[in-house]
Amino acid sequence: MVSVSLTVNGKAVTREVEDRTLLVGFLRETLGLTGTHVGCDTSQCGACVVHVDGVAVKSCTMLAAQADGCAVLTIEGLAQGDQLHPVQAAFREHHGLQCGFCTPGMIMAAVDIIRRHGPGIDETTIRHELEGNICRCTGYHNIVKAVKAAAEQSGGMAEAAE
Amino acid sequence: MGVEGIGARVLRKEDKRFITGKGRYTDDIELKDTTYAAFVRSPHAHARIVSIDISEAKAAPGVVDVLTGADLAGDRIGGLICGWMIHSTDGSPMKAGAHPAIAHDIVRHVGDQVAVVIAETRAQARDAAELVAVDYEILPAVVDPAKAQDAGAPQIHPEAEGNLIYDWSIGDKAATDAAFAAAARVVAMDVVNNRLVANPMEPRVAIGSYDSAEEHYTLYNTSQNPHVARLVLSAFVGIAPEHKLRVVAPDVGGGFGSKIFIYPEETVCLWASKKIGGRPVKWTSDRAEAFLTDCHGRDHVTHAEMAFDADNRITGFRVHTIANLGAYMSTFSSSVPTYLYATLLSGQYAIPAIHAEVEAVYTNTVPVDAYRGAGRPEATYLVERMMETAARELGEDPAELRRKNFIRSFPHQTPVIMCYDAGDYDKTMATALAAADYAGFPARKAEARARGKLRGIGLSCYIEACGIAPSQAVGSLGCGVGLWESAEVRVNPVGTIEVLTGSHSHGQGHETTFAQLVSERLGVGVDTVQIVHGDTDKVQFGMGTYGSRSGAVACRRLPRRSTRSRSRSARSRPT
Repeated sequence: MVSVSLTVNGKAVTREVEDRTLLVGFLRETLGLTGTHVGCDTSQCGACVVHVDGVAVKSCTMLAAQADGCAVLTIEGLAQGDQLHPVQAAFREHHGLQCGFCTPGMIMAAVDIIRRHGPGIDETTIRHELEGNICRCTGYHNIVKAVKAAAEQSGGMAEAAE
Repeated sequence: MGVEGIGARVLRKEDKRFITGKGRYTDDIELKDTTYAAFVRSPHAHARIVSIDISEAKAAPGVVDVLTGADLAGDRIGGLICGWMIHSTDGSPMKAGAHPAIAHDIVRHVGDQVAVVIAETRAQARDAAELVAVDYEILPAVVDPAKAQDAGAPQIHPEAEGNLIYDWSIGDKAATDAAFAAAARVVAMDVVNNRLVANPMEPRVAIGSYDSAEEHYTLYNTSQNPHVARLVLSAFVGIAPEHKLRVVAPDVGGGFGSKIFIYPEETVCLWASKKIGGRPVKWTSDRAEAFLTDCHGRDHVTHAEMAFDADNRITGFRVHTIANLGAYMSTFSSSVPTYLYATLLSGQYAIPAIHAEVEAVYTNTVPVDAYRGAGRPEATYLVERMMETAARELGEDPAELRRKNFIRSFPHQTPVIMCYDAGDYDKTMATALAAADYAGFPARKAEARARGKLRGIGLSCYIEACGIAPSQAVGSLGCGVGLWESAEVRVNPVGTIEVLTGSHSHGQGHETTFAQLVSERLGVGVDTVQIVHGDTDKVQFGMGTYGSRSGAVACRRLPRRSTRSRSRSARSRPT
């Protein structure tokens, strides 16, 4: 057993877990944060993407113990109360989801993509960046549209803040 | 069209929970005192189980119980069934082999379940599953459907001699033979429609829970049709009578057909929960298990011939298909390569005579059942490949050959059951050709060639029978259940509306589209309409969602129900 202390969605948590516990299992089973999904358990589908210290990570590919001391953000922690994150709002506005299973991972990956590329990101880059996230329903078109719209909006917001 | 009614652009009602991580999928459900199941699966395509030693697994940390096929048979739990009866051309019923939820003497495909380990944690169950020692006597296997009936091929089920499940046919053989005898040209081809895996993003999950005080079972599962699951588990598997069995399919992460079927793991989790004293038993598939146990799609090997007159008009179509149903007959498997397939072999074309023969065979592979379109894309693929092949062999432009043979007079009775009531195939074809600048293609091709590149173009027409209804029609073709749908529209005292539907949403957005339909009819906002589905205790009955039936069958109930609710509330309004 190993003791793991980390911050999840702004809250400090400490738990004793089996050494082999994956971060996704820690989030889903130990903490009951079931918004993060397991689609493939082979690091391909991206349904389990969360942020670890601000960077998108496939949480099925990381041990909980490796996240010791880190700040983890999951889909449950993205909105500010009732105020949706712009990427969440864009997925809803642009019909970027159907069954919703890949959606939390898509959104968490998209937030990181926009952070790294900025508001001017083009469609080709978005499609390339989303290679690690698989969706079986939508055909990606509206996901890409949602990410692009959210990116453009983040530029507007940054300008407004200046 | 109202502001929020049919066709209006509204935000999806279900999305807020999905984009905030609040969706409730089956694996998200954690009942009190849950135990976890891990299956021991066959690594062989075909083998006899000589012995199973569970002693080491049973003594492993956290293990609650280890159960085998012998335990299941001992408790007289029935096997899984195929619910659509197909008769061979000679009138004999299909030859369905037994499908136990855990294999006992023989394993028939890689992934066939041999034992189940139930433990306190998922990891302990998996660890202990590796300690179950199974001694197999490996038997010869056949995986190629074209070789399943060969002399000397291994016999997979004693019930189906030569691995032939049925030899079915449709159409007029004599008329078709006559058309070929009189044909100016005959085009022949062989085509394989390969097997594929459905792969919804959410792997399958089953949670079985037994309440000994009420002698009542609850199954939470990833199902496209919870009521059908209850029906099969009750009437055929014999878990419990329907009033003692509740099936709940909450948010489901995509199905694509593969979650229509009633699977062995569901039976095992329900049965095992009682066996271990009523603690819930939860099984969550991983992706590798999904490949090994979710039903696959397609897998046809076909020889087809088309007869033409001197003017390249089709006079006859002859099809012979071998359909691979895998190691066991899944819930609706028999209907897919027959009534869902061969009834669409006319495509959009006026074909005076068609005869199709389908041989369904067992092989040592994962079972095959309905997948996206189910039979209908297989038919279209065949017809359109044939049109393309014929165009090349006859030296006619592929678009022109299709156009020449389009049905133009309606209603049109095809030789394979279907009657088309309306259509304008010339218009859709012309629109598509204009959009693709078909006329400009030769110039683009030449330009590409000048740059050392190869450029191609292809086209396909498509027609589909969606809905798989009405009940009387499907019943006459062998379906074991009526494919109707139920709807109930409740007007609450405060004026809000609840719509209970027997269809199931797993990405289709019913919570929005159904609400829009009711909103339109009753003149209320979509936010006051709540769609309830996916729970046999809430919705009186239903047949679920597959075959594009929810819009065609389930939605048709709603306006009628809504109108009745409206006139009732008008009558009861105080004056």
